[in-house]
Amino acid sequence: MMSIEYRSPAGVAALALAASMLTVAPATSAQPSQPPNVAYGGVLDAGDEDYVPLPVGSPSPQAKAYSPYAGRKNPTRVLWGDTHLHSANSGDAFTTGTRFTPEETYRISRGEEVISTTGLPARLPRPLDFVVLSDHAEGLGLITEVYNSNPVLMGDSTLQRWNRMMKAGGAEAAAAVTEVIGAQASNTLPSVLTDPKTVGPLMMSVWQRAAVMADKYNEPGKFTTIIGFEWTPTPGGDNLHRNVLLRDGQARASQVFPFSSWNSEDPEKLWAWMEAYEQRTGGRALAIPHNGNLSNGRMYAAQAFDGTPLTRDYAERRQRWEPVQEIVQMKGASESHPKLSPNDEFLEYGIAGWELGNLTLGGKLTPEMMPTSYVRAGFMRGLEHEAKLGVNPFKSGIIGSSDAHNALPFVEEDNFFGKFPGQEPSADRWKQRSSTGTGEGDAARYTWQYLAAGYAAVWATENTREAVFDAMMRRETYGTSGTRMTVRFFGGYDYTPEDAQSRYLADVGYTKGVPMGGDLKPATAGKSPTFLVAALKDPQGANLDRIQIVKGWLDASGTAQEKVYEVAWAGNRQPGKDGRLPSVGDTVDVARATYTNTIGSAELAAVWKDPEFQPGQRAFYYARVVEIPTPRWTAYDQARFGVKMSAEVPMKQQERGWTSPIWYSPSK
Amino acid sequence: MDVADLVFTVQVMRRLLREPLLHFLLIGTALFLLYDATNGGRADAPREIVMSEARIEALAESFATVWMRPPTAVELKGLIDDYVAEEVYYREGVAMGLDQDDTVIRRRLRQKMEFISEDIANSVEPADAQLQEFLAQNAGKFAQPAELSFRQVYLSAERRGATVRADAEKLLAELQAGRGPAHPAEAGDATLLPATMEAASPQAIANAFGEDFARQVDEAPVGQWSGPIESVFGVHLVRVDERVAAEAPTLGEIRPIVLREWQAEQRHRQNESFLAALRDKYKVRVEGPAAELFAARDAGSAAR
Repeated sequence: MMSIEYRSPAGVAALALAASMLTVAPATSAQPSQPPNVAYGGVLDAGDEDYVPLPVGSPSPQAKAYSPYAGRKNPTRVLWGDTHLHSANSGDAFTTGTRFTPEETYRISRGEEVISTTGLPARLPRPLDFVVLSDHAEGLGLITEVYNSNPVLMGDSTLQRWNRMMKAGGAEAAAAVTEVIGAQASNTLPSVLTDPKTVGPLMMSVWQRAAVMADKYNEPGKFTTIIGFEWTPTPGGDNLHRNVLLRDGQARASQVFPFSSWNSEDPEKLWAWMEAYEQRTGGRALAIPHNGNLSNGRMYAAQAFDGTPLTRDYAERRQRWEPVQEIVQMKGASESHPKLSPNDEFLEYGIAGWELGNLTLGGKLTPEMMPTSYVRAGFMRGLEHEAKLGVNPFKSGIIGSSDAHNALPFVEEDNFFGKFPGQEPSADRWKQRSSTGTGEGDAARYTWQYLAAGYAAVWATENTREAVFDAMMRRETYGTSGTRMTVRFFGGYDYTPEDAQSRYLADVGYTKGVPMGGDLKPATAGKSPTFLVAALKDPQGANLDRIQIVKGWLDASGTAQEKVYEVAWAGNRQPGKDGRLPSVGDTVDVARATYTNTIGSAELAAVWKDPEFQPGQRAFYYARVVEIPTPRWTAYDQARFGVKMSAEVPMKQQERGWTSPIWYSPSK
Repeated sequence: MDVADLVFTVQVMRRLLREPLLHFLLIGTALFLLYDATNGGRADAPREIVMSEARIEALAESFATVWMRPPTAVELKGLIDDYVAEEVYYREGVAMGLDQDDTVIRRRLRQKMEFISEDIANSVEPADAQLQEFLAQNAGKFAQPAELSFRQVYLSAERRGATVRADAEKLLAELQAGRGPAHPAEAGDATLLPATMEAASPQAIANAFGEDFARQVDEAPVGQWSGPIESVFGVHLVRVDERVAAEAPTLGEIRPIVLREWQAEQRHRQNESFLAALRDKYKVRVEGPAAELFAARDAGSAAR
């Protein structure tokens, strides 16, 4: 009867089908924000009354206006969140059995214990600081509106009377309902109720409901809920998905209806929607692409959606609307592929299964597609485009997120509840076939190939919607495979080795250069860029193996190159002639699913100077921090369920974090 | 709405909420109204699809909400074509019985029913007295966590090796005697760990330093350097400047949160009583061996 035919405010074609279109990101912070007297980042002791700030003097007006960061507090504490989480309001979550509402999903993200869809007690070990959810679908609300004296309806005298009767309660209210039913049966309902134009907007959509709920759970300083949705175009099975995040509350969000892939599969149309949203509401929006690894070369393609070559205008808009991208999630890692980057020994993670083809396995991933499928390659293509267009279309920071569809953003290896309810803990979940090729061959993916990953780490000045959003806009973010390691990364020309030993490392970092996500200033003659990088292990996780810096650059011939540099590492290892560092070792006991922190370091820091810098060559640099080997979720399953998985299933891995790059462009 | 109205409304709603018969009626009404709205007040003739002006306007309006501009003539025609196609499929699909046993459709309808129930619960605006009572009954849930302000000096076991403990004891003695450096943290080793935390909750401290450290610093004396205490990172000397015990906030301080939690509970109860009331209309019979599972209880629980 009333299924999908009648659509609330803007549903239209979008609603009927779109399965997982909306993603809203709420954010939680378990802590109060830092006190306002923290003028510098990092470990500067705000309580040190005799701390003497640098002399300021009397700068010229131009100098005063020079720094875009002036007046901004530098962030002192990293916030952890998930920008990609689905509740029962996502069609595919719903059809696979997820019953958690947005409200329950927020509660789960704040660390409350629940019973999972498959009946297991489940709890996030540490609350998130922020989170985003996704929804679509029409809703109801008519009867509430009559009851609530909605002015649109109260113009009708019959409805006015029913309203009074309902409010009187008891027998009178019951009589009102009888009257309503009678009127319906005899076709004498007030016409206002049968006019879709009037009634449509009254039917609060699922989108609006979710937005209202997001506001209720948003507690500035403690837990941030960011309103958003997932836009889910999958042309030919190629993943072009984006999560859209709004900086605003439901008052603005409710003025629009989410843009779905049924409206258009073209990212440029999504950006147009975002622009219209900003103009109409005065709000702000950003989009986060994800799973280039499942895009069969389309995520960083040299052509726009309509097949035309990229233009400067396209590059400007993509950079404007897509400040960060997701490098890892349950459906694999998108950093790079071993065949693309054969000299990088850390790329096996999150490749198996996902490398077979696009999202639906409707088409195979061929070697020709790889250079435009992965994040690092995308950064390299970005340099090539920038050389031609003057603007880098793929200048995007990095985050990680879960994409959990069972409302459980659990990405710790010992607490992995899978992506869908069917993948929640059970003895044989590892061997379930999760998808089968619809194209040539018999390619298939299995649950064991899913990752317990990842999280978004954000250097925000405080835990609020605005601050988290703004940090993403300036790309001061990093992604991890689920570990909560702290990572600092700064670039400039004046860092010295002693800076890595500074007790005010972040302060030094901000003072002498730019943080992750920033742009190096043009080089002055004879100077090479230096980078200050530091990492602190997750207090509940494993020690650190090493910090690496990945550099990509455009060589003299205009071809993009890449290289991984070892920058800091635990122990007394020495890199070999090929620059490679010996393995850190391995304490994993697979049978018991344990490891010990007897190898590796709790903390690593270094200043690294690019030894091969060419001032005329554009480049990007990002840091990768790698932990010592630890048991994978499959090892915990094996130990807990007493099963034996087949030999191809990995039992251990090295968790990691990837920072947003710092870019260098020669002066023009 | 003034306070008297509010109280009145609450009283009415409380009565309403206890009235299962009314639930059915309200639900029924909502369904009828919706069905009616859906069909523009009258069902089309079996083989006729009428695109009334009102329906077209609704399509255009829906388009405008997404695109934030009205559809062009070409787009509008496309919307109508699409709607007609969908209507055809819909009717033919229903005629073929494809809606039967379709999990998505069944669940969507279930969700809509739950929405109705939630809407009723959400309409209720409790009086402060009710919230006050709710707050008192759930004091633990609303307690503001304890807050600790402290400084710490870090000594890396990794960097100092066997002497770390002795180094810490020596530095502690100096700090306690007031002979330490002006910036105590400078006597320790460089670290990304915060040198101070202000008004931090136990959770915040555990997030930064690990649970062992959080537990120990919570027991440290106020106003003096103490330690050494160990964490997963190394050895620390700590000076707690202020400790504020967990306290029970007043309603005024956290009213929106108490309201949210109260409504969540109301919704939960409302959904349960709603389902129970609906289920009472049905006699459920479980057949086969599984019937034993329900033998001892009301067979109706099979529907749970």
